[in-house]
Amino acid sequence: MNCEEFEAIGLDAERDATLSEAERAAAREHASRCSGCAALQDSWQAAGVELRGFAEDTAMAQAPARVEMRLRQEFRTQHVTLKVRRTAIAAAWGLAAAAVLVGAVSWRNWHHGRQEGTTNHLNSVPAADNSSKNSSVAGANHETPAEVLKGMQQPSSAGTASSETLIADNELSGFTFLPGAFASDTDDAAILRVRMQRGALSVLGLPVNEERASEWIQVDLLVGDDGLPQAVRLPQ
Amino acid sequence: MRIAEQERDDFLLRRAAKGDEQAFTLLYRRHQAALYRFALRMTGSTWAAEEIVQDVFMTLMRDPKKYDATRGALGAFLYGVGRNRVMKHLGRLPREVPLEEKNEDGTGSGIVLQDASTPAMWVEKRERMLQVRAAVLGLPPEFREAVVLCELEEMSYEEAAQAAGCPIGTIRSRLHRGRALLMAKLEMFRDVPRRASAAR
Repeated sequence: MNCEEFEAIGLDAERDATLSEAERAAAREHASRCSGCAALQDSWQAAGVELRGFAEDTAMAQAPARVEMRLRQEFRTQHVTLKVRRTAIAAAWGLAAAAVLVGAVSWRNWHHGRQEGTTNHLNSVPAADNSSKNSSVAGANHETPAEVLKGMQQPSSAGTASSETLIADNELSGFTFLPGAFASDTDDAAILRVRMQRGALSVLGLPVNEERASEWIQVDLLVGDDGLPQAVRLPQ
Repeated sequence: MRIAEQERDDFLLRRAAKGDEQAFTLLYRRHQAALYRFALRMTGSTWAAEEIVQDVFMTLMRDPKKYDATRGALGAFLYGVGRNRVMKHLGRLPREVPLEEKNEDGTGSGIVLQDASTPAMWVEKRERMLQVRAAVLGLPPEFREAVVLCELEEMSYEEAAQAAGCPIGTIRSRLHRGRALLMAKLEMFRDVPRRASAAR
């Protein structure tokens, strides 16, 4: 071992676990032969003692208690914030789910009710005797078609049978479409049979013979799902 | 034993991540002292060491998933984070060595002399200690790190190389150069009073 090697690895040969026993022996031998390297080793050992003294004096050093306090405070803040955020997210999801559920149930009920209503309408066949009622409808020449229909559908206050009859009849032949109505609008239409004075047909936009305006006739109205008559038929 | 300890650290960290403050406090108490000592010896400043320790544990608290148990012990991970903070701190600072720094309670700079029989000896020893400290802090950061790890923390070369993230040969050469500089500085500090007394 020469002086350079000794300076690089020999100074701390006894501590360096990566060195072999032969290298340690070579370092010891070099130090015993070379006075310069021996002096360097002594100097380093003295420095080592001072360093160890410094190390011992700082060995008990610890972070002040305020660091722990600050960290714990921060920990609490962070986890409380997280907890609040998680709760808010869970609540938001819960509300959204509840809204969807309520919406679905409402839609289902509405749809179900609508289907049942249509079936009931189609199945019900009320009696057709109420001439007094119909007379009031026939006289109202200035009314709109919807009002005419509304007037015809209203039962009398005395509880007499209404004049209209719902007919479960998909046969649309013989109907005359009213002005502004189209055949495509009659997909969900119902046929309503009413008794009315002939003059009331003028309200629906149909030509009427004035001489026979006061005649009572039976009319089939094709009523759309908006409640407005779409077409008229005079049954045989 | 070490594996069991590591498992316990992992366990504590998992609990801390779920919001267990006691687990976090235990982890802190287990690792803060070594980290603080390393930071203090590297920076020579109690407030800087304090900031670094706080910063390291804040990192652990905010993002515990950064620690991967398969890559080593939690202590080594914390040391690595602390080392980065120390190097960043040293890079920001001008090259200066604080000779006297007072703590909040008015005592010295983290150096506590334990056995000084007489006031004169106490003063002399304290002065020498400050010189050693100044000599260590006057080393370039890489050499200082090697000296702190191998001489002050008494790590083996392998441990020091692992901690510094470099090969053993690099640690050895840094230590060699660090020692040479340190001895020169200590010689210089010894010579200054001699010259002063000779001039009188």
